[in-house]
Amino acid sequence: MALTLATSWCQSLRSSPPDAAVSGAPANSVTGASFNFAPDDPPGEWHSQARDYANTRYSSLHLIDTGNAARLRIAWTFSDGTQGGHEAAPLIVGSTMYVVTPFPNILFALDLSKPGEPIKWTFKPNPSPAAKGKACCDTVNRGVAYVDGRLIYNLLDDHTVAVDAKTGKQLWRTKMGNLERGETMTMAPFVVGRKVLVGNSGGEMGTWGWIAALDIETGKEIWRAYSTGSDEQVRIGPDFKPFYDHMKGKDLGIKSWPEGMWKHGAGSVWAWISYDPKLNLIYHGTSNPSPRVPDQRPGDNLWTSTIFARDADTGMARWAYQTTPHDRWDYDGVNENILLDLPIKGHVRQALVHFDRNAYAYTIDRTSGEVLLAAPFAYQNWSSGIDLKTGMPMVVKEKEPHPDVKLSNVCPPDLGGKDWQPAAASPRTGLVYAAIFNLCMDVTDNKVGFIPSTPYDGMNIHRHAAPGGNLGEFMAWNPATATKVWSIKETYMTMSGVLATAGDLVFYGTADGWFRAVDARSGKILWSQKLGSGIIGQPVTYLGPDGHQYIAVEAGIGGAATIHADLIAHAGEDFPAGGNTLYVFSLGGDSQ
Amino acid sequence: MTFSKPIASLALFLFLNACGRDQGGSSTTAPAPSAPAAVPLGQIAGASGSIAALSTPNPYQDNPQAIEQGKQLFGRMNCAGCHAYGGGGNMGPDLTDTYWRYGGLPIQIYNSIFEGRPQGMPSWGKALPPDDIWKLVAYVQSLGGAVPVGEWDHARQGDRPGEYSAPEASGPQNTGPQK
Repeated sequence: MALTLATSWCQSLRSSPPDAAVSGAPANSVTGASFNFAPDDPPGEWHSQARDYANTRYSSLHLIDTGNAARLRIAWTFSDGTQGGHEAAPLIVGSTMYVVTPFPNILFALDLSKPGEPIKWTFKPNPSPAAKGKACCDTVNRGVAYVDGRLIYNLLDDHTVAVDAKTGKQLWRTKMGNLERGETMTMAPFVVGRKVLVGNSGGEMGTWGWIAALDIETGKEIWRAYSTGSDEQVRIGPDFKPFYDHMKGKDLGIKSWPEGMWKHGAGSVWAWISYDPKLNLIYHGTSNPSPRVPDQRPGDNLWTSTIFARDADTGMARWAYQTTPHDRWDYDGVNENILLDLPIKGHVRQALVHFDRNAYAYTIDRTSGEVLLAAPFAYQNWSSGIDLKTGMPMVVKEKEPHPDVKLSNVCPPDLGGKDWQPAAASPRTGLVYAAIFNLCMDVTDNKVGFIPSTPYDGMNIHRHAAPGGNLGEFMAWNPATATKVWSIKETYMTMSGVLATAGDLVFYGTADGWFRAVDARSGKILWSQKLGSGIIGQPVTYLGPDGHQYIAVEAGIGGAATIHADLIAHAGEDFPAGGNTLYVFSLGGDSQ
Repeated sequence: MTFSKPIASLALFLFLNACGRDQGGSSTTAPAPSAPAAVPLGQIAGASGSIAALSTPNPYQDNPQAIEQGKQLFGRMNCAGCHAYGGGGNMGPDLTDTYWRYGGLPIQIYNSIFEGRPQGMPSWGKALPPDDIWKLVAYVQSLGGAVPVGEWDHARQGDRPGEYSAPEASGPQNTGPQK
């Protein structure tokens, strides 16, 4: 009887979530933002890193809510035995969970229908160990994409693989880059229709950045767009209409550089992609320029530290917006672009919300690339604002680094006001939630020469806390007014992804291992659990075959949060060691 | 071949840089490029006692001018990009501590630079003359974590100066109580 009830309840949740198809905003939404949840995966499952095309990381599950979150307990755990930062979200498809590790990029399938969630199969791709020494910021992997019975992900050694979700057997393996050029791959593939989009890492290695589309059936490349070079190489054609003047002109990916330096000018595509099915446009950012010494590359250095809108079928660019022209601090531009329809000054705008490493939060018209709002979300002193007429930041001269000159207290540092760790958005509150940093740096530039497969870097950096002394912060942001609604200060860095749920909860983790559930409206911490290592993973939620709602997150500190000795030194003796454990929580710790 | 191109441009880069380098450096007793091959990477199976090559000293050890030139090379060859300015480690291992994956004797550090290592360390044996590699080694030695030449056997065993050693622990054969 109980089983029947649970099953039917479970099925009703799976078939008719309370607001999975929300189009209008609820009355108590702060902003009135509306959301598109395509591709409308089953509400109890999690098929891609961001869950939906719009990159909201929102789940309509609500069995766990503000009233009972305090009863969350560990239901089960899984240790994958690898070292390195654990940045990926697990996927849940049917009654199977898929977990990918940092190098050596092992993929596990776990059976959620059996007690103890045993391993169904293990896929070991055995990437080249040489890749470990080419990855700037630990040997991380940001996750897997599921499509039509396939699991697709990138190996650190520049191969994209597709694995049969049922059997764990490799379907195809495509070589996409070359370690001899300093390239690695760490981003999570993003599926649009029958294509899967991937990009390279290596902004510190003098790579040539690109994004490419592969056929999900064969792994064959369909198109590739570079981030520097000729218009043809960047896939800029007659339909390219940037909003601001300094991005208009022919072959700016060559002309905005000193002779030939675009060839190893980076602009790698190492993080997130989002997709608007109505406009048929994808959105992605590009990394910092190489070398990291700006005086060696006078010019805007297009198209690095830039947000692109591209046609999802052809990859042809529609617009671009360079967040940090002539990026002097490694502010990059790869952070996620969350697609929301936002009422702003009486008009509903098709917007894109982007928290840049340069510490500005941008609300951009995603049809045109016009910046509607730009305001700092974290402490910064490199600029006095963004000129919305020109789209250009107003740079503070004293914070421009030059070779052999020690600059003190430049904020944020290269790690940014927020790094790759993705924010989440809730249609119930209309707010966006992000784990951010409170960091500065002392920096001395050193001129560098280009030697293939070695760092093309030159920044000698000491990072420290910004005013306040805390290294991390978790915040709710109003994207319609570009203002902070509430925030929670954290002693240590906050470099985890965020999960938002219909239970009006938001979840995040800290670098010292606290995993927290927070009231999405008030910002009150409702529950915290210390895990075995620091958390830089992305929390997800799913409905088990037993009808229970579960929350899952990886604990395994690493990545940019620990790769730099100065930050570890700052963190102190109680900073956790590495780890490799997936934690799964339920109300009361119940499981199969 | 994609491989030959970077090497060619590297050679040119090194040629252009050679003019400004190595003024007043003394001639050295550096081994020919083939010599490091005589240094074993692991323990010698079935053998015990001295492996003479391991005690090869660095001709530039404690030479302030060579250490300074080594430091310049450490920046110019992009070593600092991985091992950090000051050698404290980042993408690549910390060179200032006493943990050495491939050995911390001068000849072992020379070898690691010369041959490269499988987890991303490039091989510099073709790009740099032995003289420059020894200067890099001198700089790394100056950072304090390297193993003194006389300690080569102790370093292999993980022994530390001043520690107590049980009488039964010496030598490859355990001969039991020696009373």
